Amino acid sequence: MESNTNPTPDKPVIQSILAEHKKQIKIGLTMCAHCSLCAESCFLYMSHEGDPQYMPSYKFLHSVGRLYKKKGDVSRAQLETMRDLVFENCVLCTRCYCPMGIDIPALITLGRRICRSQNLFRNYDR
Amino acid sequence: MNLTIIYNLIQGPLVWLSLTVFIAGIAFQTWRLTKMMQTNVNDRRIPEKELIAPKALSKKENFLRKLFFLKLSVLGVNPLVVFISLIFHLCLLITPIFVTAHAVLLEKFFGIGWLSWFSWSPQTTHFTTGIVLACGFFFVVRRVIIRRVRAITTIYDFMMLALALTPFLTGYLAHEGMGDYSSMIAIHILSGELMLILIPFSKFFHMIFFFLSRFTIVNEYSLGAPKRSWQF
Repeated sequence: MESNTNPTPDKPVIQSILAEHKKQIKIGLTMCAHCSLCAESCFLYMSHEGDPQYMPSYKFLHSVGRLYKKKGDVSRAQLETMRDLVFENCVLCTRCYCPMGIDIPALITLGRRICRSQNLFRNYDR
Repeated sequence: MNLTIIYNLIQGPLVWLSLTVFIAGIAFQTWRLTKMMQTNVNDRRIPEKELIAPKALSKKENFLRKLFFLKLSVLGVNPLVVFISLIFHLCLLITPIFVTAHAVLLEKFFGIGWLSWFSWSPQTTHFTTGIVLACGFFFVVRRVIIRRVRAITTIYDFMMLALALTPFLTGYLAHEGMGDYSSMIAIHILSGELMLILIPFSKFFHMIFFFLSRFTIVNEYSLGAPKRSWQF
């Protein structure tokens, strides 16, 4: 149903949100050592038998991180995958631990904001 | 190009260039990140004395409490990775300072002789170099076989790891006389210089960022008593 409301993502809107938070995203991407030590701090990761898609770093790297690297140029399907990561795979409990001190919840919140700007929300009836 | 010219270049101007970029880059990036921080943050954390239960804890209870806290920390959850990371970073940072050959070079070019008093024996250097290489190998294997690490690994991670290990591997091979000595030393110096240049501008900057963010930014997991927050 959603895919009919807005078939192509509004690139300029995504880009303006990314530009607004450029420094924050860049620091997160550069300083993430891809160590995966954040995994066990996520209760959803623990309750999904170690599915990497629930790992905090995976969630931000494959949502906001990917959007930033692609300069907002993503398809609707890709954006829907990101929606699943930031809305379904994270409850924003802000309990994730990063050895480098990256504020992962803030980046996931940013991912949610971008999704909302494209009419993508949590699927409550899933 | 003549090989001598290359050697003169990497042993002369490039050393100065890499050291300048390394020091100036770290200073610049630290300044840039500090500018992004906001000072005098209203500390809304509950004072520690209010967090502790009113009942005074016995020595044993206090110890158990600390042990429980440790078990919940990253050290308790991932002791092997934390331990290996710790000795890897420690050996990576201190080995180059205590290599006898480096002290000899410093004495020859700058007349700094006192450094050689602290230099390690070749056996010790071999041991710490071996630790760095073994830990590096552990990280490579971990990146390949563990699903969750593989999920976020890119080719860039392997390149950074390779760059960090090359000076150690070539230094060891050159010292042991394996392979062509001059090319080993050339790769050794070049990779070391490249690493120094890249530290302020790549993932290697976590060497400074770790302290900047964990010790100065107010966070649930911050260390010490920080008073700042990000102001992007």
